[in-house]
Amino acid sequence: MALAGFRVLVGLAILGIFPGVSPEGAVGADSHVRAKRASLTSDASPSRAQARTTSPTGIRGRLDIRRIARPVERRPDTAATGAPGPRDVPDLRHGVVYLDTAPRSAFDEREPARAVMDQLNERFVPHVLAVMVGTVVDFPNSDRTYHNVFSLSRAQRFDLGRYAAGKSKSVRMDRPGVVRVFCDIHSHMNAFVLVFNHPYFDVSADDGRFALPAVPPGNYTVVGWYEGEARVSRPVVVPANGWAELDLVVP
Amino acid sequence: MFPAVSPRSRGVAVLLAWLAVASPASGQGLPSEPISVAGGRLVLGGEFTGTIAPEDPGFFNYTDYEYSALRNFRFGISAEVKATDRVQLLAEVRLDQGTVFEPYGLYVRIRPWPQHRFDIQAGRIPPTFGAMTRSAYGSSNLLIGQPLAYQYLLSIRPDAIPANVDELLRMRGRGWESSFTVGDPTPGPGLPIVNTSRWDTGVQLHGINGLVEWTGSATVGSLSDPRVRENNDGRQLAGRVVVRPSAALSVGASVARSAWLDRALDPALPAGESIAGMRQTAVGADTEFSSGPFLMRAEVIRSTWTVPELSVPIIGDPLVAMSKLLEGRYKVAPGFYLALRGERLDFNTLMGTQRSAPWEAATWRIEGGAGCSITRNILLKGAWQRNRRDGGRVRADTLITAQVLYWF
Repeated sequence: MALAGFRVLVGLAILGIFPGVSPEGAVGADSHVRAKRASLTSDASPSRAQARTTSPTGIRGRLDIRRIARPVERRPDTAATGAPGPRDVPDLRHGVVYLDTAPRSAFDEREPARAVMDQLNERFVPHVLAVMVGTVVDFPNSDRTYHNVFSLSRAQRFDLGRYAAGKSKSVRMDRPGVVRVFCDIHSHMNAFVLVFNHPYFDVSADDGRFALPAVPPGNYTVVGWYEGEARVSRPVVVPANGWAELDLVVP
Repeated sequence: MFPAVSPRSRGVAVLLAWLAVASPASGQGLPSEPISVAGGRLVLGGEFTGTIAPEDPGFFNYTDYEYSALRNFRFGISAEVKATDRVQLLAEVRLDQGTVFEPYGLYVRIRPWPQHRFDIQAGRIPPTFGAMTRSAYGSSNLLIGQPLAYQYLLSIRPDAIPANVDELLRMRGRGWESSFTVGDPTPGPGLPIVNTSRWDTGVQLHGINGLVEWTGSATVGSLSDPRVRENNDGRQLAGRVVVRPSAALSVGASVARSAWLDRALDPALPAGESIAGMRQTAVGADTEFSSGPFLMRAEVIRSTWTVPELSVPIIGDPLVAMSKLLEGRYKVAPGFYLALRGERLDFNTLMGTQRSAPWEAATWRIEGGAGCSITRNILLKGAWQRNRRDGGRVRADTLITAQVLYWF
């Protein structure tokens, strides 16, 4: 009986079915290093950065987060025979600004992008990642311990299993939505991947500044998102030639 | 099937409701993250498990609190107070069956040199021995049943002892209600090899040096019978070393030794023998390997108990128990896993007047099950458990059990 059960387990392992995990699945340390050199967020790619400065139109401003969230504490581990090692706390100063509805041209087919969410000192870096549908997100493990990245979000369910330092696994984000990312081993580790079906979004900078370049002229609603919720929205008019200025306050 | 709603149960419900309101992260529902108060100086975590199963006629899953581990509602709250960088106070209270309240752990943790992984813990401390003593229940348990070595009740008791081999053999397979003629004559539950129903009291040292993690402790109880107050002037010394050659693999070894009988039995002992000389000695080895969706654990424990020689046929040799366990988990899909555990308890043979037999009935258990996460912190488990032993009135039973688990 036990042997039969074990055979079932082994058979399932060979099948290796993990929905959401891209064919790249596990990639080696070399590609991990290459991925780290790549942009941390898709909006920081060269073409987007260039668009920020050369685009004749767009929306820019500041996302003012009045109350920065506190990092999630470790669960009290009373069963531990000693204190856990040191960890870094996530940088929670960043929100995401995006267009609620996008112009038709936004849905033109684009080259699939690649982004990185690292795992370092028991935190995901960055804490918030914004990407377009089709982007492959690499989750390298740059820590000294095992991690197990997973998400049970409706937008993207995946479980990358346990993997060690120097290894990386990746997920192709196939549907728009908010993907809450966790580590199955370290319950305080959490992060967000916001997946959009248009390119008009930006992760706010340390000082709150954001820019949505190349937004065609017209009327739009801009949304400010922070730590799991769309917290503020404002209408905005993008002029035929020039940038619309907009400040958003997250109370 | 379930215990009646008691004032304590209502208290738990009120506490849950309060937690739901108090947590800033909870939004409309129950908290999903630990509750942090006073800028993180006080952190509260909690775990609720509701487990249902049919009657267990063979008492294979009974604990020494005289209830089945498969028919239980448990609510536990753990707290960590960070007094300074060097000093923390940790506590955990549990409510079982809605009525059994247990201050499970309460201790101070001191890290004398914050830059070094060296800690001193004193109070009611977590177990030093074994790989699963700290993870046998709730969210750390892959299945629902607890490992036999940590829960299954043997016939031996700290407050009553058999006068001879025949008396001991008569109690084979009756650990949930054992009785002997020497000591307390009232029938009562026996002891497991390693008791995880409660923690011991004493001092613990812990350190990590590179790949090696070590723990040592001195406590008042024994491995089978952890205590708040000592009952025999004996001290348990326990040690554990874990080596992690890679992130995927850990190999551990444990040892513990202590007096295990209650001093109330002292007058019954032959001249020249003392309660302090009646010892439980246990050694254990364990390993864990994990990679990708796989997790495998194995553990072997050998425990001996010395028993006084009272009358013929005498119990001349120490009682020996051997536990072997192998378990594995495979994640089939996001939020869904399958798990399987096989385990066995064996005992040494004693010669009585009429027959020779192991002093306890050899016992096997196979448990297979699945876990499904509704959200990150709400897990449903279902399991099938087959128990069998070589003695007792009921020699086998099969149980289907389910558990809902919520933590924050």
